[in-house]
Amino acid sequence: MAILLGGAIVSTDVFFSSCKSNVKEEYFAPEDISLLDEIGETIIPATASSPGAKAAKIGDFMKVYVTDCYNAADQQTFFAAVREIKNLSQKKFEKDFMKLTVPQRQEVLAELEMEKHSKVESKSKAPGAEGDAIQTGKQQEANKTSLNAVSNRYFSMLKQLTLLGYFTSEPGATKAMRYIQTPGSYKGNVPYTKGDKAWAT
Amino acid sequence: MGDINSKGITQNTFDAIVIGSGISGGWAAKELCEKGLKTLVLERGRNVQHLVDYPTMAKDPWDFPHRNHLTLNMKEDNPIVSKCYAFREDAMQFFVKDKEHPYIQEKPFDWIRGYQVGGKSLIWARQTQRWSKYDFEGPARDGFAVDWPIRYDDIAPWYSHVEKFVGISGNKDGLDTLPDGEFLPPWEMNVVEKAVQKRIMDNYKDRNVIIGRCAHLTEAKEIHLQQERGKCQARNLCQRGCPFGGYFSSNSSTLPWAAKTGNFTVQPDSVVHSIIYDEKKNRATGVRVIDAHSKKVTEYYAKIIFVNAAALNTNLILLNSISTRFPNGLGNDNGLLGKYVAFQNYRGTLSANMDGFLDSYYYGRRPCAVMMPNFRNVHKQETDFLRGYMVFFSAYRSAGHAGATQMGEAFKEAQSEPGNWGVSMMMQGETIPKETNYVSLSKDKKDDWGMPLLTISVDYDDNDEKSLKDFLSQGAEMLDKAGCKNITTNDSKQAPGLDIHEVGGVRMGKDPKTSLLNKWNQLHACPNVFVTDGACMTSTGTQNPSITFMALTARAANHAVEEMKKGNL
Repeated sequence: MAILLGGAIVSTDVFFSSCKSNVKEEYFAPEDISLLDEIGETIIPATASSPGAKAAKIGDFMKVYVTDCYNAADQQTFFAAVREIKNLSQKKFEKDFMKLTVPQRQEVLAELEMEKHSKVESKSKAPGAEGDAIQTGKQQEANKTSLNAVSNRYFSMLKQLTLLGYFTSEPGATKAMRYIQTPGSYKGNVPYTKGDKAWAT
Repeated sequence: MGDINSKGITQNTFDAIVIGSGISGGWAAKELCEKGLKTLVLERGRNVQHLVDYPTMAKDPWDFPHRNHLTLNMKEDNPIVSKCYAFREDAMQFFVKDKEHPYIQEKPFDWIRGYQVGGKSLIWARQTQRWSKYDFEGPARDGFAVDWPIRYDDIAPWYSHVEKFVGISGNKDGLDTLPDGEFLPPWEMNVVEKAVQKRIMDNYKDRNVIIGRCAHLTEAKEIHLQQERGKCQARNLCQRGCPFGGYFSSNSSTLPWAAKTGNFTVQPDSVVHSIIYDEKKNRATGVRVIDAHSKKVTEYYAKIIFVNAAALNTNLILLNSISTRFPNGLGNDNGLLGKYVAFQNYRGTLSANMDGFLDSYYYGRRPCAVMMPNFRNVHKQETDFLRGYMVFFSAYRSAGHAGATQMGEAFKEAQSEPGNWGVSMMMQGETIPKETNYVSLSKDKKDDWGMPLLTISVDYDDNDEKSLKDFLSQGAEMLDKAGCKNITTNDSKQAPGLDIHEVGGVRMGKDPKTSLLNKWNQLHACPNVFVTDGACMTSTGTQNPSITFMALTARAANHAVEEMKKGNL
């Protein structure tokens, strides 16, 4: 069942409890994945130096993450956000999001961001960016802003998902950032010039 | 009960039995095997062989279906252990499944366990600091626990002994509050950490900011090469198991070393039920083991027994070792077994921003932070709370800086670059052991192996609240003086246990009326049984405890063998 392209979420056999997932991966049809790819690509496009979210298969990532890691409330928000994007596309341009030009898509997302429910402070920390904390993981825990806690609003949620899925993907980590699985050593002070990429992990 | 076949008795008889193959059990095995004792190590969990059994060690972030985040199912299946920072897709296989190992929380306690060969030495945070004389003298000076039966000078040579083998990185800072060790080269601080260090030390003459000390080979010496371990590669993926043996674990280090002696036997899947006490011989004679899978019970025999099952499990085993002589648990004449359990206070954290320093970045992922040895009540009792806390902090550049747009090319560029500097700070607070913090055995509830469930009744007290408050205010003051902005404080309100530094229940002391173990970690009432894991601790200190467990173990093993040679054991 293409839950995103269909009508309302089937609510008769889906109980929204606070901790459980109410979504299965098969709810996402290929058209849904394509739409999510394009939404992601609008947020993080291909540029001269690196591929965009679509090449990073952001739609597939969102499918898995939303299904397995989001609680029912956040899943509801996610699907509402995507529905709202479709509504805005029709409202503004009388076309499907998939048929819009890039600037038009950006307009749709920009309007989504402006909508009241989208007004939320979110800390944009790519995972693993805390780097050197020792009990490293423990300090990450102290700082971490879980998606569920912060991004319970439409554009913010989609943006956070795109950032997470993109920068932990192979193209994102290796082409848009610098990824070194085995650095070999630690240097506390290397010169940084504006424009140098961040370490992916 | 048990195997009474006489050939079986011979086959099942060793010079020494070690219960547990984790960070202290591995050391007992190494020392005892090196000294010629045929040693049986009993491990309740599965085998994990160095390199062979590290399925995730070479994976990249995109290799994990959820990019190393937890799923709802993982959290639901493991509500307790999933709270641990290291419990992720890349290392979950080295933690217990909560459902398989229930326990009773009389008060909230997050008991984090790793049951496999190597135990939590696979997943530990690898931070190591020596206790100072002030830590050993603390109980006697302030009266908050019985006197330690040893002092720093007793253990100093053993710290040296274990540090050389383990490989400890650190800087010789010359502080009596945190004695220097046998160090490999220290890790570097980054520019913001150096700035914070200078500003704090300029403002506070009695406080020291130093690079962390940790069990990582910043240089592999001959002894490490002999262990077939190499230089740490600054990956900071340690909990997966390390392809380089760059950090210390039983699996990469002490267990293979013990195996080389030809005296070593390890038996995984062996749940120890109890220690066998022979009333006629007035000594422990062996151990009853339940096969983890078949549930068959077998007895093993030895002249000496080292109990290294990890603090609370060691308590469980001793409490479950009932005999006519010891109706309340092995060695428990005074009724204090299981009592005076303590932990370390991790509730307080701070975060802040630091402007500037944008022309500097770091390379690699350092496996330690910057630290401040305890500066409270060091020479005398001065504050409205007892003891103090260690401070850890690190500075990092957040990923992504605020660009003008929220999507598109410019947004992507901005997110791909490092942003401003942040500083993150945490505490590791000493807590006061109390008789009212204890573990005991359930009278009616049992686990899948027929062992009574452990009941844990441990809580924070007013001293912890005051210590926390002091840390948060001092931390904020120091970060402010260091030039940080947007300083926020946080009390995680986490339950005890998530520190994973629970200790006590079988405390050392001079007097058998008020302690369970003597100065050599022998049970006062059953001297051929040694306890050298966290259970033995009389007080908690502010240091990460594992290196102290290792030093106590090596020292006790040495004593055990000397006593055996003299015919005393």
